[in-house]
Amino acid sequence: MQTLDLHFMWEAFFIALSGAPITLLITVVALLISIPVGFFFSLIRLNGTPILDQLCRIYISFVRGTPLIIQIFLIYNVMPILLERFLRSTHSTLSVFDVNPIWYAFVVFSLYTIAILTEVFRSALKTVQKSQLEAAHSVGLSTCAAYRRIIIPQALVTALPNLCNATTNLIKNTSLCYALSLREITLRAKVAANPGYNYIEAYIDIFLVYLLICSLVEYGFKKYEKKLKAYQCLSA
Amino acid sequence: MLKFDFVYLLEQIPKLVPYLDITFLVLILTLFFGTILGFILAAWKLGIRPILSKLAYAFTTAMRCTPSIVLLFLVYYGLPALASIFAFDLNDLSKLFFVVTAFSLSFGNVMSEIIRSSYLAVEKGQYEAAVSVGLTRFDAFRRIILPQAAVVALPNIINSILTLLKEGSLAYTIGLIDVMGKANLLIAMNYEAHALETLLALSFIYWSISIIIEKANELLEQRLSKGRTFVKTV
Repeated sequence: MQTLDLHFMWEAFFIALSGAPITLLITVVALLISIPVGFFFSLIRLNGTPILDQLCRIYISFVRGTPLIIQIFLIYNVMPILLERFLRSTHSTLSVFDVNPIWYAFVVFSLYTIAILTEVFRSALKTVQKSQLEAAHSVGLSTCAAYRRIIIPQALVTALPNLCNATTNLIKNTSLCYALSLREITLRAKVAANPGYNYIEAYIDIFLVYLLICSLVEYGFKKYEKKLKAYQCLSA
Repeated sequence: MLKFDFVYLLEQIPKLVPYLDITFLVLILTLFFGTILGFILAAWKLGIRPILSKLAYAFTTAMRCTPSIVLLFLVYYGLPALASIFAFDLNDLSKLFFVVTAFSLSFGNVMSEIIRSSYLAVEKGQYEAAVSVGLTRFDAFRRIILPQAAVVALPNIINSILTLLKEGSLAYTIGLIDVMGKANLLIAMNYEAHALETLLALSFIYWSISIIIEKANELLEQRLSKGRTFVKTV
């Protein structure tokens, strides 16, 4: 008969919570990089730019067709080799081993999110009719202004639920950073559980922390969605 | 300087492919149990009992916020402990059991949402019409609602099967030897010497399976949309 060690659980909850800033940092950096790049890629896909379109397609298919954990291992194996070559060519005194693993996490999750967001933006931009752009042109707006003021606000309405999904998935997926030995939520709680074998308590804590973070993010998106509903095209 | 060995990469593929059977076994068992769970949860959500529907929605919220790796470990450590309270011993069970249980929970949750939304996509008039011509409630569901809802649900189901296939690779973390687990063993056996080639071989295997499933999805969608007649209801 085994009971939960509530005292440990209480303490480990805050240990797990102290990993949240790293999780959020990775999420925010990945989103900041991949929103503009993903938007650019989705325009390439929609315009069918020769060569670039095919490259984008292969890239997206690979990222979406292989498990994220394999992508993490791949980057973890490839990056140091490339980095070492780069450092040697610049005669830097830095060693590859000094690089904080968080940089690898930034690279992996940005590459991953770019592929996801490209598809999100592509399907969202498709829902806006072409006549909207033509109408904007006819009243004298430049293409850039038309996108900023007419197309994007409308596309964002349909993109937002998917964007929310992508963000929560990203937050959940950062738990795989243990493979990079990055001390975020999961690894911190796991390490705390090691001495007493209190794994059940630790994993319940991790579960609670993710529940808290994801619920907050979803709540925020729902609020924003309500605000954006004003732009929705009613005669779709 | 490490050198990339393309021949080594090709040699790894036949070593890994035989372990696909475990990967697919996990996939098929999870599909089976997850679908059953999905139907139960969807019935609760759509049902008239408020407690059950609240419970099902709470389960969905919790599942949506749990990383699969955390769920996997929670089941792996938590289930034997939970069972020991009721004097069951689950410690000798195969790791396959825990992997399938964990993924069935998350897949069942996804399925319940797909079933719910596709059920709602079929108009209520269809059911009423079926009952009015004398079909029993079960027959109306089986012969009228289900075939129409299945067409709506299919692309989503295949998408979540793909996700399941990819997340299934995490089973190696509790020591199940599927393709991913085998690749890890191969890398460890060579003292990380040819890690990159092995990982690339592994990713090509996953990539080709995904491409096959996606192509099948496209063909299926074309087939199904061909026979569909859209009835205007204004």
